[in-house]
Amino acid sequence: MNERVAIVGVAQSRFAPRRPEVNYAELAYEVISRVLEETGLSLPGDIDNAVSCSHDIWDGQTISDIGITDVIGGHLRTEEKMAMDGSTAVFYGAAGILSGEYSCTLLLAHTKMSQTNRNIVNNVAFDPIYTRMLGFDYTSAAALQARRYLYKYGLKREDFARVVVKNLRNALLNPCAWNGREVTVSEVLSSPPVAPPIHRLDMAPDTDGAVAMILASEERARAITDRPVWILGMGTSYDAHYLGDRDLADVKALREAAARAYAMAGIRNPRRDVDLVEVGEEFSYQELLWIEGLGLCGRGEAARLTASGATAVGGSIPVNPSGGLLSGVPINVAGLNRVAEAVIQLRGEAGERQVKGAQVAVAQGHSGFCGQHQCVVVLGT
Amino acid sequence: MTARETEWISIPMTVDVPYRFAAGRYLTKTLTQLRDNGRIFAVECPRCRRIQLPPRIVCAQCHVRNGRWVELPLEGTLVAFTIMFLPLTDPTTGKPHEPPFVYGSVRLDGCDSVLDHLIHAEPDRGKVWVGMRCRVVLRPPGERVGDLSDIVHFEPLPDQSRPGS
Repeated sequence: MNERVAIVGVAQSRFAPRRPEVNYAELAYEVISRVLEETGLSLPGDIDNAVSCSHDIWDGQTISDIGITDVIGGHLRTEEKMAMDGSTAVFYGAAGILSGEYSCTLLLAHTKMSQTNRNIVNNVAFDPIYTRMLGFDYTSAAALQARRYLYKYGLKREDFARVVVKNLRNALLNPCAWNGREVTVSEVLSSPPVAPPIHRLDMAPDTDGAVAMILASEERARAITDRPVWILGMGTSYDAHYLGDRDLADVKALREAAARAYAMAGIRNPRRDVDLVEVGEEFSYQELLWIEGLGLCGRGEAARLTASGATAVGGSIPVNPSGGLLSGVPINVAGLNRVAEAVIQLRGEAGERQVKGAQVAVAQGHSGFCGQHQCVVVLGT
Repeated sequence: MTARETEWISIPMTVDVPYRFAAGRYLTKTLTQLRDNGRIFAVECPRCRRIQLPPRIVCAQCHVRNGRWVELPLEGTLVAFTIMFLPLTDPTTGKPHEPPFVYGSVRLDGCDSVLDHLIHAEPDRGKVWVGMRCRVVLRPPGERVGDLSDIVHFEPLPDQSRPGS
């Protein structure tokens, strides 16, 4: 059995609203070839497992990894797809190494949101007998969650808008992000309504892109790099599928996933022990909800924390210094991008968006509507 | 207690998701050559020299980037076939193929992979056989659209008969 798992390399594609020039394999090869080059590893010899993340309904083919098996090195070898958020690929990949079965695992997440219609794809996530007939999608469900959260804690849309202002400004300093810009709170508030309290600028835009990452056992990691980033803890948890069984303003699954990850990492006080956080905010309100679920502040306090500037890059607990999902990261790829951005920060390679002295980071990803499944990964130098 | 009919509700639904699939750099070259010039191009692995059709970015066996383009002849050999009795649908038109019809796998001369397509032959075990020589039948120039339907089907070369018949 291996004791520890390190992340030894990451590569991210350009994220853009449309990448019509590449198919899935060519998009995947962009990041796989770069992460192999960066680590000096080669396929097939140096890699003994591969885990990919993509979704049949998004890709329009059953067993959606068939488009990338060749480029990930899965031909006549092992490769497993998981159809969750990309953060969960880190969980599976690390579990395989901890078991002792594998020593070096290539991870990949890819999605081209431009190739289909998010509302229709998301509708298929709902139960066919009841909610699906209403035409529900992630945005409508999120609007209910956002409203419930506003109501429960007496928040205002301005509180959500501050997340947009911060993240799009952070994105200006991230070369992978395409949606970086200066916006004001009033511009966010006056952007077109989509499903109030969610307006256009409160939503992550559709994009195409891919992320690759290499995990290694401690022994392999030491030989590959002198700057390994260690997986200190990880945890996952499911909430109810049916929205009517949840209090949408609560974050039980995330609190459970975080508790498992923190226990593994030996973190007692995340606010004190964590230097930066990357969360998956498909909608602006989710950043507030998720940082409460991660225990970085009390319930209903994330808006005040954000307004104080604490979550800005220079603040006491920077959240999404990358620009987050609002900066334009494809669904499914989102969580692997969260982990990758945390790794870049912990290696001190984040350039102008670098959080000074970062040693411990938390990455959070989720899949399903309103954050049904949650995955938390704690990383350290 | 009186026995009564049990009713089971089930809800009919069509899950209709629209897609537009990017062919990518490699297949775009092959499909545009097919459409514009009626020529078929495959790629060759620089290491194992396997000639691969449809073309793709990476040689699965060697994990190197495929490089050199190779033009293939429009003739080849049937390596497998079946006679279909199901009216399978073409998803780009929504129309079924009229059964019975013949699907076959043809290895174009010089290629390492085979190309699956319709075989324009009588759906009769005596008229189709593994080893049969076939040629590509293309839509006329000007009517081609840049997808696999630019190949209408394979047709058997004339003057051959099933071995042993």
